[in-house]
Amino acid sequence: MGRFGLIFKSIAKGRVTEKYPFAPIELPEGFRGKPEIDPEKCIGCGACATVCPPSAIQIHVDEEQGYKTIDLFLGRCIFCARCEEVCPAEAIRLTKEFELAAASEEDLHQVVKLKMAKCAGCGRPFDTVRHLQFIAEKLPEEQKPMLALCPDCRAKLASKILTVAARRHR
Amino acid sequence: MMFKKSLWVFHLNSGSCNGCDIEVLNIFTPKQDVERLGIKLVGSPRHADAIAFTGPITRECLPKAIEAFMAVPEPKIVLAIGSCACGGGIWFDSYAVIGGIKEFYKILKEKHGIEPPTTIYIPGCPPKPEAIIYGVALARKAVEQKQKSEIFVEESDIDDAATLFKEATSTRHFIPKIEVIKRGE
Repeated sequence: MGRFGLIFKSIAKGRVTEKYPFAPIELPEGFRGKPEIDPEKCIGCGACATVCPPSAIQIHVDEEQGYKTIDLFLGRCIFCARCEEVCPAEAIRLTKEFELAAASEEDLHQVVKLKMAKCAGCGRPFDTVRHLQFIAEKLPEEQKPMLALCPDCRAKLASKILTVAARRHR
Repeated sequence: MMFKKSLWVFHLNSGSCNGCDIEVLNIFTPKQDVERLGIKLVGSPRHADAIAFTGPITRECLPKAIEAFMAVPEPKIVLAIGSCACGGGIWFDSYAVIGGIKEFYKILKEKHGIEPPTTIYIPGCPPKPEAIIYGVALARKAVEQKQKSEIFVEESDIDDAATLFKEATSTRHFIPKIEVIKRGE
């Protein structure tokens, strides 16, 4: 292609520059943008925090107030969508939002605070109410009472049951 | 802080993986031609209005980053491009990095007594070229900030597991269901 051929080609092609800040752009199918937690659906199981490679989702437990805090910090998120894959309640999903620039770091946080249930044995808050209800739907009826106990009390109860049962069969 | 005229940017790779650097260079290609907005990359920090950090600021480049930062004349703005610069990214707790622009400011304040300038955080891994343009537009107050922090607090009367599962208080009905199988029978 000669020099003139190139010029004619570029004229035929027309303008390629986007008008971006003044006009919106089209995003491709399956674009991974800002992750968002739906606070109505979130059960606070912590699966997303476990799989998150950069620990952008962190979970803090406040035993005095009885709250479990799910803190999503966008400034560290790498948009891998593992949290979306693993969420059992389909509460977290990646939107197509990409205009995330913020003038302060505080604006990059999304915080969900969920109420925790107290153990029927020792009275220590151990899990969110929503998570217990979520598990209770899937459990058979005879196993449900165990849910009211924290893992420590559950272990104690299980060993107690085993000792009693072993004594009976002796 | 507001720049009414052209914004000249000094681009500093502070330990980035090159993903963000390629996106920064992308915005100067014909498709997202930001030179139409007066934004230009300059070769020396002394010529710049803004300094763009890409990367979690490694220990090795910290003295150079401080030197380049102090060479930018006042008034200046800082663009933290990518997740690494914003909050340390996937290496936030590594021994080899400082861990983002916030930690960098802490070191600046301790050692040199410099107050942090206006900073625009542009998250993304890497951020889309349009996201960087949006961040620069935000720095010039040409667009409104969309991202806001959200705090949701659940309000519920139930805070006791015993009320959820009332039969849990007695344990007697568990016991008959367990069968012990003796070996050798």
